[in-house]
Amino acid sequence: MCWNTAEFPVWLLHQLLNIIHTPWRMSLLRGLLGMELIGTSVRLFLDFQEKLASLDSALILDVPLGVISRIEKMGGATSRGENSYGLDITCKDMRNLRFALKQEGHSRRDMFEILTRYAFPLAHSLPIFAFLNEEKFNVDGWTVYNPVEEYRRQGLPNHHWRITFINKCYELCDTYPALLVVPYRASDDDLRRVATFRSRNRIPVLSWIHPENKTVIVRCSQPLVGMSGKRNKDDEKYLDVIRETNRQISKLTIYDARPNVNAVANKATGGGYESDDAYHNAELFFLDIHNIHVMRESLKKVKDIVYPNVEESHWLSSLESTHWLEHIKLVLTGAIQVADKVSSGKSSVLVHCSDGWDRTAQLTSLAMLMLDSFYRSIEGFEILVQKEWISFGHKFASRIGHGDKNHADADRSPIFLQFIDCVWQMSKQFPTAFEFNERFLITILDHLYSCRFGTFLYNCESAREKQKVTERTISLWSLINSNKDKFKNPFYTKEINRVLYPVASMRHLELWVNYYIRWNPRIKQQQPNPVEQRYVELLALRDEYIQRLEELQLASSAKLSDPSTSPSGPSQMMPHVHTHF
Amino acid sequence: MEFSELIRTGRAQAKLLRGPEAPPLRGTLCVTGHHLLLSPGPQATSDLWLLLLRRVDSIEKRVSGDSGTITLRCKDLRVLQLDIEGVEATLDIARSIEALSSLESVITSFPFFYRPKGLRLGDAWHFHPPERYYKRVARETNAWRLSEVNEDFSLCPSYPRAVIVPRAVDDDALARCARFRQGGRFPVLSYHHAPSGTVLLRSSQPLTGPQKRRCAEDEELLRAALAGARPGARGFILDTRSAQAAKQARVTGGGTEAKAAYPGWKRLHRPLERGWPLQESFVRLVEACGDLEQSMDRWLSQLEACHWLAHVKEALSTACLAAQGVGREGACVLVHGAEGTDSTLLVTSLAQLILDPSSRTMAGFQELVEREWIQAGHPFQLRCAHSAFSHARPKHEAPTFLLFLDCVWQLGRQFPLSLEFGEGLLLALFEHAYASPFGTFLCSSEKERCLCEVRTRTHSLWSGLNQPKEQRKLRNPLYVPSPLAIWPSVELQTLRLWQGLFLRWIRPPEPSEVAWEKVWQIVTDKKTEGCEPTVSASEPRL
Repeated sequence: MCWNTAEFPVWLLHQLLNIIHTPWRMSLLRGLLGMELIGTSVRLFLDFQEKLASLDSALILDVPLGVISRIEKMGGATSRGENSYGLDITCKDMRNLRFALKQEGHSRRDMFEILTRYAFPLAHSLPIFAFLNEEKFNVDGWTVYNPVEEYRRQGLPNHHWRITFINKCYELCDTYPALLVVPYRASDDDLRRVATFRSRNRIPVLSWIHPENKTVIVRCSQPLVGMSGKRNKDDEKYLDVIRETNRQISKLTIYDARPNVNAVANKATGGGYESDDAYHNAELFFLDIHNIHVMRESLKKVKDIVYPNVEESHWLSSLESTHWLEHIKLVLTGAIQVADKVSSGKSSVLVHCSDGWDRTAQLTSLAMLMLDSFYRSIEGFEILVQKEWISFGHKFASRIGHGDKNHADADRSPIFLQFIDCVWQMSKQFPTAFEFNERFLITILDHLYSCRFGTFLYNCESAREKQKVTERTISLWSLINSNKDKFKNPFYTKEINRVLYPVASMRHLELWVNYYIRWNPRIKQQQPNPVEQRYVELLALRDEYIQRLEELQLASSAKLSDPSTSPSGPSQMMPHVHTHF
Repeated sequence: MEFSELIRTGRAQAKLLRGPEAPPLRGTLCVTGHHLLLSPGPQATSDLWLLLLRRVDSIEKRVSGDSGTITLRCKDLRVLQLDIEGVEATLDIARSIEALSSLESVITSFPFFYRPKGLRLGDAWHFHPPERYYKRVARETNAWRLSEVNEDFSLCPSYPRAVIVPRAVDDDALARCARFRQGGRFPVLSYHHAPSGTVLLRSSQPLTGPQKRRCAEDEELLRAALAGARPGARGFILDTRSAQAAKQARVTGGGTEAKAAYPGWKRLHRPLERGWPLQESFVRLVEACGDLEQSMDRWLSQLEACHWLAHVKEALSTACLAAQGVGREGACVLVHGAEGTDSTLLVTSLAQLILDPSSRTMAGFQELVEREWIQAGHPFQLRCAHSAFSHARPKHEAPTFLLFLDCVWQLGRQFPLSLEFGEGLLLALFEHAYASPFGTFLCSSEKERCLCEVRTRTHSLWSGLNQPKEQRKLRNPLYVPSPLAIWPSVELQTLRLWQGLFLRWIRPPEPSEVAWEKVWQIVTDKKTEGCEPTVSASEPRL
């Protein structure tokens, strides 16, 4: 089934509305409202009857339909008083729009139905917007991530690790990718037996290997220990095999992302954690990160203090009471521990939570970002997201609720947003370490909801394959990679072997105002255009400089072969090469 | 020399701990008249370590067994620990530091002995004379004149020799105005906004007293200010006290301008914190920042309880109001509180930074600090006698100047391209305002500086800062001149704790400083064509 354009009604400035309530105390704006569906967005035009000092033209609000989480009617036919009758639209990106309408003419019913129909296509047997998107880009973002190439970049397979296609048809584990990296010494039968002991068959597989000390980050789900404290010889042996791939340390470190009590409580539903008795050669630590429900409630509290009014009098203590930054701190602290264990502790690390698709993904991907500078480039980061989140089955469809009208669904949770927030915190602390800028991160988040691209649709690779997502939709990376300059950090200096340890203390974390409060005109960056202009200039200058340096390097390498050149030449050149890039 | 009487011991063996990042230093510790020295011994690779004793804010000693520990908390918020061999030596050194760091005499202070290489005495004091600015305004407007009525500081001891007043008001009238204003601080021009022709003025409170006295000359002066701007121009009197506090001031002889006496002027009250509560806020903030033991869950509410950011917000929004009056409403604005030497200067200087692009340059900002703080009589000697660690009962201390620097930092953060100087300059000004080898921040007024012959006997901080080797630290590599006003957002959500200052010695300094250096490299490498280093913006314009 397909939408044809004729089905998009276009109301251009003829829906007479009484009052427009925009958020953020921009007071009441009175004017005419027009609504138009453009592709995957609903565009709202506001044309003011009274000219406002700050806004001299019509205000246009582009609200991607995918961003709408809830549409509600306010008031009824008998409502009295101004602004008591209309529509209230809750968005997933911290925005709320409230329109007060005139009661005459039943215009609201039409608007409500049209909006509901297209904002929640799943409930109306309509396809998700991404399948209708006919945009063209000059690069294909679906080619960015190729697992074989990525593992080869990491130096895999090697003597200890092999690539297996056992999950080719998603029979071993339906939420894992087709291609997995497992210990060389574990046979496919071993893997099948281990799968029976891990929640949802998510067996321990390799995420990342240290290029020098060969320690690894391995991810999985919780073991099915249960109340009776079940054991599984194959699982125990399998972890030992993982430990032995690295001969430097006698213990395997297991990070259970959950708080200790939650891990214990999970035994009641058949889960649990690796006990000392069963796993002699492993050390287990709990990282105290709370579950998806806690995170959702925390973000809800953040929204409460920034919408509809920004909490004024006790801003900092209100912010504290949301605990959002505290959760960010715990996630970052956990990732730092993983990275440090692998890099300095020279111990292989196994990370899991309950199912291994939320907190586990946060920890492995953040640790990899700290350890491997490749992931700090634009394409590297795309690969990281594609690999650790999308291919390993972070349940984007359930967590975001694409096209789904059940806004109160308990499965929704801002886990991926929290990850991006952590990345932003890191980029604040290391302003030259990331190739991408803040706009890149915000763009990713915008399209996490927009449904314009197929990138974040569905819960796992098998579902995406079934829906032929890569054939039928466009990748978000097509948009980004075809206009990379817009997303570049002009101060990026490439450093190969630097491990980044951000400071995860509360003193050094801050609320991402440009994201969470960006709709408030009073908070807006005051000088966006000159800053951007300057960044673009700097980027151009930088490219010019790189080019000149390359020429110089060529010239100097030519000189190197000439024995008569002074020996100081190359040694002076080298530090430059390192410091600038 | 009297210093020798205060030095109880020659030397001792000691180990110096400088925080988590720097490695400890071992060597011979030595107290001199102005410095604490640690000489690492002949075979050591590191140089002599030196601390200006005036920089010490508080000192704590502890002895155990046959050694002792001295903790020095410095005015720049650094905390140092000295482990010293010998109980006697420890106590002697502690006593010597205590005595020498709290000497109050100005003319025996270190700036009178400091003779750095490459700088000549007397240089650079002419860098930023306010007269130059005043002459320009007088020339351009024809409504203002430079008066020498305060040549001998008799009219107003806290004003400089040269003051700028409406042309229509003669020196005799000024003398009567001075008697009507606290401390003789009659209304003078602070800033002339050329695009609108209006002016920013500052003064102290009028001495109306309980009888609601009036002063015809004072009223005439303000009338002349309006007339000089534009026929029919309006004026705002921005009182930095609450309406009630202003009213109460009448009991002690002060007060505020009566509406009927000043036609065309409208009074607004914007209370700003000052004095002890401001100092307390600073002390509590530094305490919270240094308290590493305590659980971090409460950090944000602790930060809020200090109220420092609320003070930043109030200062910035009041400055915005003043700037709005001048820049957008085309009105004249007179700012005063009580004495007119603290929050008044905070508001007038910030308003200029918002409105005036030339005050956002390196030279312009130094000129602003010189004209609106140093020459305008902010009592640095009293306000900056102690920083946040002192146990001494505070008398006149208040971090008004630090609050100004913090507001400037917030502006710089919101407008990363608009200030020619960077955080480095603000940090340097903070350090030097509290303890400095230079004479610039000595004394509390120009009169005192003249008595102490500061200009001829000490070096100016500006000549120290404008040396080429300092430039990378102080300048903003991203600066692009812009003729526009920079209106900051003053919402608490957009204000940040100035980590570079308050967490300077606590956080690992690496990332931000490394980043700053890299940005410099990227920017200057562009400007340098080919291999020839050409003169670029990184050269100071002297």
